[in-house]
Amino acid sequence: MSGAPIEVLKRVPLFADLDEAELGRVASVFKERRFAAGETVIQQGSGAAAFFVIDAGEAIVHVDGIERRTLKAGDYFGEMALIDAGARTATVNASTELVCSGVTFWDFRPIVEENGVIGWKLLQSLIEIYRSERTGP
Amino acid sequence: MSDLVPLLAAESTALFGSKAVGLGQALRDGLPVPDGVALAGAVVDAVASRDEQAIHRVAESVAGLQGALAVRSSAVDEDGAEASFAGQHMTLLNVRGAEELTAAIGEVWWSANSDSAITYRQRVGLFTRPSVGVVIQALVEPETAGVMFTLNPVTGADERVIEASLGLGEAVVDGRVIPDHYRVSRDGEVIERTAGRKDIAIRSLPDGGTYEERVAPELVESLCLDDQQLAELNRLADRCEHVYGPARDTEWAISAGKLYLLQCRAVTTVRA
Repeated sequence: MSGAPIEVLKRVPLFADLDEAELGRVASVFKERRFAAGETVIQQGSGAAAFFVIDAGEAIVHVDGIERRTLKAGDYFGEMALIDAGARTATVNASTELVCSGVTFWDFRPIVEENGVIGWKLLQSLIEIYRSERTGP
Repeated sequence: MSDLVPLLAAESTALFGSKAVGLGQALRDGLPVPDGVALAGAVVDAVASRDEQAIHRVAESVAGLQGALAVRSSAVDEDGAEASFAGQHMTLLNVRGAEELTAAIGEVWWSANSDSAITYRQRVGLFTRPSVGVVIQALVEPETAGVMFTLNPVTGADERVIEASLGLGEAVVDGRVIPDHYRVSRDGEVIERTAGRKDIAIRSLPDGGTYEERVAPELVESLCLDDQQLAELNRLADRCEHVYGPARDTEWAISAGKLYLLQCRAVTTVRA
């Protein structure tokens, strides 16, 4: 069975309040996805289907056409897709062959629906993210 | 009911998707479809999750298929919008070995769960989890391949429209060449034959995947179908319409002199 490394999920603010078992449950629904060098992984403005953790390779992030950063193994992107499937806020292109673990909105949602504790913790994390973005660092 | 069956036994669109059932029906009606197996959405999901038992079952099921494989998505759509989904799903050709087969099935799963597929689903009001079946077939290595409409999709005229090129039919389907263009009347008379510009042919690589082969200069603008092959395609169009009804959009291939039907669906763009 594939799955995202729990150590990476621990660093995702959205999952900050989940314990080891809850993170394991989330990790269990990830699936491997490979991209060729040069391939667009996600496109800014497009509807969002999945959250990805990079297992191997590198990718470049562009926002409004401006290069922002390089992503490497252990980095992640697109976690807000798990909540509302809203528009992507950045474009990510694979700069090498890229191996990711990804989970879609559809596979993540039942975990939250079946487990109120996880749902509540996610709500708390979202409020923390909202507060910090509203008030600034 | 099993969720992994020979293509011949694929009868439930809810389980296997419309492409698998369409090809299964073609086999049941004696049409020349390459042998294969159909995987239900749940099996595709399990293989994409690297479930060892599911991977083993799939490997066993394809053991009887000779040579390289073609792995095709078979959309399981609750609104029957298979044609609209087709561009967002995929075909992987010349798949070799268990590991590559698992990866190919995973790619098909992601094609149905990609950003663009999800965006499309939301746009048409589908808010349920996508399910995609898979068809695995023995890969046909064609000399010539292409598409055929059993009536003219532009004018609506009662004639066959055939587009053909050298090598795998993806060169035509993906618009990578200007194919030869033929119009054949229902009684077999060739109304038009116009050579295209077939600079490349898509061929299989020995270790999997495909490549673009440069076509010999003398063949680039030479017609690639003769009268006998056009007559055979016309007969295939008759049989497809007999089985499925009028106005069919097909993909075909000729390998070692034998004509195969690879795809048959309703024409969606006929002008009245």
